[in-house]
Amino acid sequence: MAAGLKTIISLSFVLAIGFLLVILSCALFKQYLPLLVVATYVLAPLPNWICGRCANPDDFVESSGNAVVDFGRFCTGFLVVMGVALPAVLAHSEIIRIPAMIMSIVGGLLIYGTIISFGLFFQEEQEF
Amino acid sequence: MPEERLWKFRKPEWMNSSTARSAGVYAAGALSSLAFFIMLDAAVWSKSARNGSDIHIAFIDWLPLIFSFLGMLIINSIEKTRLSADSFSYSGSGVAWKARVVLFLGFASLAGGMAGGVTVLVLKYVVPQTVWPTLYMGVSNVLANGLVMLSSVVLWISQNMEDEYAYNLAL
Repeated sequence: MAAGLKTIISLSFVLAIGFLLVILSCALFKQYLPLLVVATYVLAPLPNWICGRCANPDDFVESSGNAVVDFGRFCTGFLVVMGVALPAVLAHSEIIRIPAMIMSIVGGLLIYGTIISFGLFFQEEQEF
Repeated sequence: MPEERLWKFRKPEWMNSSTARSAGVYAAGALSSLAFFIMLDAAVWSKSARNGSDIHIAFIDWLPLIFSFLGMLIINSIEKTRLSADSFSYSGSGVAWKARVVLFLGFASLAGGMAGGVTVLVLKYVVPQTVWPTLYMGVSNVLANGLVMLSSVVLWISQNMEDEYAYNLAL
């Protein structure tokens, strides 16, 4: 379990850097709209998770179970691209500046990567 | 199954894996998100200080995208296996016929969205002879509708993979 401790420490470190970049991109230019990126990336794994609980992907009798899983994946893909597209839209209209856009995109990707790898590392092994 | 194959080239093996299927669904979501945000970008840009002209994005510009998304919703909500239901003897009540009518409505809505995007580009931006930064609002409209179309194609293909996958597992 020593590896687990190291993973936790490095993941929280990366998460802190991600939040630092996003907050810096807001506070340096006194324009707090890029904070929406954090909300987007926190929401992004949710549809996948909820729809995964709702449906049994190995159920062949009714194929509606698979459709729910696919809908969750579709929503997750939508939200992940939204996290990149939102700062780009804001920067294109000069609501935020280009450095703020770069910082919030990188920070958001770090936050999302942390959430995803946390889910990967600490997934409970399901025994049948 | 192999005797019923119509095309010379068969589908590559890796396309039948569940990983490729879920990657396709994620990509479809990403593409539709990109379409929505390209249109949103044009709308935000038109109200910002960088838009020097007096042409702005109105509800008219959004209408083709709404039709495209409606068509995408319709054609991907249809149960694909019902399309060939008439070939089975036990299925009466014309399910396949209904499915084809609804599917036709969906494709018409999708194509209508694309045509509407081109119409808005021509009537609102090309005919009044606007120059590039203003023309961008019309081009983004066509681009967004094309991306919605591409997204529904990707989603359609990855949903058709599912059947093969289920078939392989059932064996």
